[in-house]
Amino acid sequence: MISSSVAGIVFANAHDEAIEKLTQKRSIASVPFGGRYRLIDFCLSNLVNAGVSNIGIITREKYRSLMDHLGSGMHWDLDRKSGGIRILPPFNVSRVRLYQNHVEALYGAMDFMTRCKEKYIVIYDARTVANIDIREVVKQHIDSKADITVVCRRGLKITNGDNTMALDVNKEGKVVLTGFPEKIAADDIRSMGVYVFTRDKLVEIVKNSYETGGDTINDDLISANLDTLNVMAYEHKGYAAIMDCPKAYRRANFELLNADIRKDLFNAQRPIYTKTRDDMPTRYGTQSSVTNSLIAEGCVIEGTVKNSVLFRGVKVEKGAVVENSILMQGVTVAEGAQLDNVVSDKNATVSTGMVVKGTDDKAFFVEKNQTL
Amino acid sequence: MIKKKCVAMLLAGGQGSRLGVLTGKIAKPAVPYGGKYRIIDFPLSNCTNSGIDTVGILTQYKPLELNDYVGSGKPWDLDRLNGGVHILPPYQGQKGGDWYKGTANAIYQNLGFIERYNPEYVLILSGDHIYKMDYSKMIEQHEATGAACTISVLEVSLEEASRFGIMNTNEDGSIYEFEEKPKQPKSQLASMGIYVFTWEKLKKYLTEDDANPDSDNDFGKNVIPLMLNNGELMMVYRFSDYWKDVGTVDSLWEANLDLLNPKIDLNLSDKDWRIYSRTVALPPQYIADSAKVEHSLITDGCEVAGTLDYSILFENVTVEEGASVEYSLVMPGAVIKKGAKVKYSIIAEDVVVEENATIGKDPTELSPEDFGITVIGSGVTVGKGATVGAKEMITEDVKEEA
Repeated sequence: MISSSVAGIVFANAHDEAIEKLTQKRSIASVPFGGRYRLIDFCLSNLVNAGVSNIGIITREKYRSLMDHLGSGMHWDLDRKSGGIRILPPFNVSRVRLYQNHVEALYGAMDFMTRCKEKYIVIYDARTVANIDIREVVKQHIDSKADITVVCRRGLKITNGDNTMALDVNKEGKVVLTGFPEKIAADDIRSMGVYVFTRDKLVEIVKNSYETGGDTINDDLISANLDTLNVMAYEHKGYAAIMDCPKAYRRANFELLNADIRKDLFNAQRPIYTKTRDDMPTRYGTQSSVTNSLIAEGCVIEGTVKNSVLFRGVKVEKGAVVENSILMQGVTVAEGAQLDNVVSDKNATVSTGMVVKGTDDKAFFVEKNQTL
Repeated sequence: MIKKKCVAMLLAGGQGSRLGVLTGKIAKPAVPYGGKYRIIDFPLSNCTNSGIDTVGILTQYKPLELNDYVGSGKPWDLDRLNGGVHILPPYQGQKGGDWYKGTANAIYQNLGFIERYNPEYVLILSGDHIYKMDYSKMIEQHEATGAACTISVLEVSLEEASRFGIMNTNEDGSIYEFEEKPKQPKSQLASMGIYVFTWEKLKKYLTEDDANPDSDNDFGKNVIPLMLNNGELMMVYRFSDYWKDVGTVDSLWEANLDLLNPKIDLNLSDKDWRIYSRTVALPPQYIADSAKVEHSLITDGCEVAGTLDYSILFENVTVEEGASVEYSLVMPGAVIKKGAKVKYSIIAEDVVVEENATIGKDPTELSPEDFGITVIGSGVTVGKGATVGAKEMITEDVKEEA
């Protein structure tokens, strides 16, 4: 069945620079998201929920926090005797220099690709937040006898056109033309950075492309092969967001305050798994006031919280007000402090009475462990 | 097997009948507590935090959910190469077999399990108490005094003493008499149901007890008195932190709301003494615009649009707009619909309280003898506009009222 015929390759570092403040000391895959997750949780959960249990994770740099998060893989049921999680740090091509692009990185993972027994490989860019039914994608890939299937979403919001591809799809669902988003209409179909490749084809085109100086998956593995390979589009109908700039990251976090989006993303039949922390439930004090907010476990809230996302173990003391903000694990907002449009990295402290304000357009960013 | 210094045996087979409908489908140790825990998380976490890595769990009554919950023991770090957690149900041998007749008989039937590890000491625990305790300190005292048995005790008030097994002791802490629920207690040292035995002594006395056809095979009633009569050195170990028996509906309700009482020292977010639990993959809780949440505990997967005061919501609970929950526990998966009012109640798993239903009564509205916690059993639907009064225990759906 599908489960034993599909392996996964995850790009953990691709486009780190898109949200650079949060990726100073971590890969984009381990950027905290949605109160209790890391971006990679969505990708791993989607793969696991489709029965994929052999997953290679291509890392380039700053991957300590990712390794901490993943551990043995047990939280995703990926601590397996055969398969499970394999971290693929720079290896084959790195004796001279670190790989510089997707094609070199995939070439570096050639051993993983040639040794795995699975017939299909899902390539997944860890900055995509969605609940994708990978089983359906693979089924369509097989039924349509595709070499490559690109998972895409109509009208997907994209900021950075260079990294994301728009597709022209014919009636049969075949991709006939690709291009950059700024050149096409707003409701056009765009790639979500998730692909199914038939493994033998992938091995072949990665080798060819590497030898001719290929660079990106979109240009050199897909667009360049539209005439010779069967490239199909799979249209994902549910929620999808790409973390391609700080604004997109904030927008996607706040979109979780919408009940329909939560229902779609946290589909009870295809849960999103993450590392558990054994926190106690969140405690609301006698004078707390919380509205329209997503709050993880282990928080202690004595003050006011509005339109915000609070990660695990955040403390909001008496008289403090937090609005339109994203506060990551372990942040403390001391008595009487006021936060509006703030994004705070882990374990930061905002001292008593401080007023910290960003704008709707540009959030005020507090660094990890920083005390204001 | 590699020899172990101490093996813990957790008595989890009791029916917990005083919890009524809450244990209709599950064993008492599997009853939810504190928003995300089960009662059994406390002894299991205490074991792992005390360095005890071999635990036998004696099950008998409705074990399915408890077995599922314990699983391989991973959440408590008790999935070990040597030792770890073992579920021990009653079994058949060549000469037949029997249900566990009493607490002592349950251990007696599993002497073979303990034998494999050939421990120096055996720690006997039960699955109905909420407390954080370092068992290693108790074992240290046991070792230092050379006692045959050490019993953990808590000092209770004289009024309470007649509800407990009371230890009458000499000045050095050695026990000269044990009285079960005495009318006129001579001491205020109540047994917490936690025993450390020297393995050889335990084996000897359980074998003797089993040979006595008149025995009820119970630790408190039979084995402890037998050892005392034989002049064995029995010591108390004094414990003074939070400990609560959650054997009744009222005490379970109280022990939960104790988590919201700033005067009570039961810190479950202590990083040095974590209480572990098996968690399910759920999104964070969402508190809506219309919500008013005060003085409550809420956990993953909850959606709150109504009013909460002095309450605990377990995972995946929904409280709709205009609904209110006060001084209550709402267990996993329950839904409180628009305009419903819940007070002084325990709402069990997957209950649906339909619109404008009213559950429970405020103690100020009633005379003390009429007041009591209302319990809605798991899976029950309380119809639109229906009323359920104080003290009631509901197991069947309640019809809609116009």
